Amino acid sequence: MTAVLKPTLARCLWVAPAFAALAILITVAARSIFGMTPVLQESTLLTVAYIAGGIGFIVGIGGFDYWFTWMKGGELDPNDHSQHGARSWGDYFKFNTDHKVIGIQYIVFTFIMFLVGGMFAEVFRSELARPGQQVLTDQQYSGLISQHGVIMIFVFMVPVFAGIGNYVIPLMIGAADMAFPRLNALSFWLLPVAAFTLLSSFMFGSFDGGWTGYPTLSEQSGYGMTLYQLGIQLAGASSIATAVNFLVTIITMRAPGMTLFRMPLLVWANLATSALVVAATPFIAGAQFMAMFDREMGTHFFTVAGGGDTLVYQHIFWFYSHPAVYIMILPGFGIISEVIATHARKPVFGYRAVAFSSAGIAILGFAVWAHHMFASGMEPWLRVPIMLSTLLIAIPTGIKIFSWLGTMWGGVLRMTTANLFAIGFIFTFVIGGLSGVMLAVVPFDVSITNSYFIVAHFHYVLFGGSIMTIYAGFYHWFPKVTGRMYNEVVGRWHFWITFVAMNITFFPMHYQGLVGMPRRVADYAPEFAWSNMVISLAAFVLGASTLIFVYNMIHSARHGKKAGANPWGGLTLEWLLSSPPPIFNFPATPRVIGGPYRYGEEGAKHAIVPEVEPATVETTV
Amino acid sequence: MKTIKVLPLALLGTAVGIVISLVLIFTRTLPVQASAEANDIDNLYIFFLGFSGIIFGIVVLFLLVAVYRFRARPNDEREGDNVHGITWLEVVWTVIPFVIVVLCAIGGLIVLRSGDVEAQARTKGQQIHVLGYQFGWKYAYLNQDIDLKDQPTLVLPVNEPVIFELESNDVIHSFWVPAWRMQMNATPGQVNETSTTPTKIGTFEIVCAYLCGVGHTNMNSALPGSIIPKVQVVSKSDFDAWVTKQKAEAAKAAESSSAQTTTGSAG
Repeated sequence: MTAVLKPTLARCLWVAPAFAALAILITVAARSIFGMTPVLQESTLLTVAYIAGGIGFIVGIGGFDYWFTWMKGGELDPNDHSQHGARSWGDYFKFNTDHKVIGIQYIVFTFIMFLVGGMFAEVFRSELARPGQQVLTDQQYSGLISQHGVIMIFVFMVPVFAGIGNYVIPLMIGAADMAFPRLNALSFWLLPVAAFTLLSSFMFGSFDGGWTGYPTLSEQSGYGMTLYQLGIQLAGASSIATAVNFLVTIITMRAPGMTLFRMPLLVWANLATSALVVAATPFIAGAQFMAMFDREMGTHFFTVAGGGDTLVYQHIFWFYSHPAVYIMILPGFGIISEVIATHARKPVFGYRAVAFSSAGIAILGFAVWAHHMFASGMEPWLRVPIMLSTLLIAIPTGIKIFSWLGTMWGGVLRMTTANLFAIGFIFTFVIGGLSGVMLAVVPFDVSITNSYFIVAHFHYVLFGGSIMTIYAGFYHWFPKVTGRMYNEVVGRWHFWITFVAMNITFFPMHYQGLVGMPRRVADYAPEFAWSNMVISLAAFVLGASTLIFVYNMIHSARHGKKAGANPWGGLTLEWLLSSPPPIFNFPATPRVIGGPYRYGEEGAKHAIVPEVEPATVETTV
Repeated sequence: MKTIKVLPLALLGTAVGIVISLVLIFTRTLPVQASAEANDIDNLYIFFLGFSGIIFGIVVLFLLVAVYRFRARPNDEREGDNVHGITWLEVVWTVIPFVIVVLCAIGGLIVLRSGDVEAQARTKGQQIHVLGYQFGWKYAYLNQDIDLKDQPTLVLPVNEPVIFELESNDVIHSFWVPAWRMQMNATPGQVNETSTTPTKIGTFEIVCAYLCGVGHTNMNSALPGSIIPKVQVVSKSDFDAWVTKQKAEAAKAAESSSAQTTTGSAG
């Protein structure tokens, strides 16, 4: 009985509906007092129920318990760590302030969302396998492609990097935790609310305007579109809170001796990414608020009939959503630097250039948004500056690619699965980068924009780029997180099947687009029949390859060989701790005495972790 | 330790890259070139394939050689070289991409500029108002006083400039004719202008490229059974004949409709 009163998922089950019911009650009362008809306006009631229910869920899980206790003057023990760290598997389903627990919560939750988003892709690929429409109606098809995009971007790709960063960054900089542990937990628990909001839109016909949700089509859509707008706001709030946390943690909580230029490159990458998130994400949240107000409150930001402007939405949307591309790849670049240096046993080639190129990409990333709009009818003068800035961004990206090659050159490459994914990433990302350079050039872009060439390009960047880095990171830190080794043979199968199927899936799409197949269509001209069949078959194999990964992770976490503290011989701080690390990370504050990648240097160390805190330092409460 | 000379390998990579480029260039599949701009844009694409193949060849060759040459043997406990960077090399691989993107920018600007100059020169020629709607296109020939209704066929004279004024009365559509390498959104609330000069006689696909609702898939003349007619480019004399016919039909229709209203009011 007490389980429903303590901060658990069980408490959410009644608090969230109670909040939703209360909100509906207040709204109905207000509407009837003011004589608004109909009193039971469905979309209004649903919206307040979703917002209040979401807050109720956070209250239920215990997101505000600490503050409530403080507000009512209750006893607060600064040394109460009962909500910190996982002592049993049940703790992963609770509000927990340990960055390692939150990291795992993020990774597991977002990966489940990846499987869900992938399933959507498999369903619409089965529609596309043959000409004509056999499986889905147009409405269902549009709903699935929109969900696929939104789930993949907002509840998988952006937050999974937050998860990896959450687990690794405090360890890497020698901190006990993140700067704001409760905010950190809150950021995570916003995600299930966002995912529920987005996925439950299927009950209302889903949203069907693509992941971009442009007005005025979004004004015509059913209630699902409001849930899309709400869901993105929630995911955005989670993302901003995490980024603030990363920024403060990285800037203020580095161990003594860790100067900026002794930071591992993953930390650099996340510093740049977090700055991007904090500056850019409010734009998409703002755009979605305005679009939602248009739908639900009768404002006219983007409604043409009311004097609004649809082009403005596109500008604001892409002012976030282009930087979002870098939010989804920069942390991956950081992972690749760690993985290649460690598994090649060689310092990162051109550390400073790699670090600064992250910063360069983050800054330039703000000046390129309108390259998504060359055919939108925007101001024509904007085309040239945006084309030039977009081309320029290829330079810092190229520096990274060549630096990784330089890192491998003259190393001793241990061909682990983590390293295979890093190497495969370079191969596929170069293709995505090159088609990106092509698309920067206005006349070429205008001739094929909104076609399958675009679909090919961004899947090479996001699958061939981001997801390859995510897998590399998963394999690289798996022994640290679980204390056990994954199965290399199964891992290698996973890599090769994913790599081959990925290329067969996405490469032919370039040709389809060039010849004239538009994106977001449920049917196509007969000339695309065989290429679509090949793509669909490869997509099914690609989907199946994910199951190999899931099997490897679950089986190895339970039965894998014991890993020991440092199976890869890494020098960065996380490898100086046991696997999995102790609940409070370091027994005493580590001291950083050199760069993070001193491979090949006899007896070199990046940092020293004292066994116990020096006796002179008395901890006072 | 046997070293591998980097420069010869870079040259080999370039050679491999050139082969890849040539394969890509000679197997390229593009729609027929049916407008004045198409050739320029396709040349741009060939240039892209050229440098992309070379960069890809170099990167992949170095990647494969590195994997082959520097891979660890079983129980290999050696460490890699303690090299943190070579400044001149880093400068080289910053400068080379810079040169390439400058070339892309120059190529892009030339094609963009010549397209814009051509577009500005198109003061004469056919002026077509295109109205996108759910789900189809309506055309009005502004300087011919022809207004086509009900899924009309866009008929244009060859080698004569066309200026499109695109509008939409519901959601965003995108007017894409792949054979002309031309696309422009039809956006509600504003008029978007684009232009071209068709250079080939024939019928060409019109594709709606922006998701516009449940009928979007079928708003593509390439689909079997689509209600969207393909664009027809005809000779000048055929076009004149067509214009005369349209005007005659329009006059007839106006006459009969006014006759109908007369009988209607009389009845």
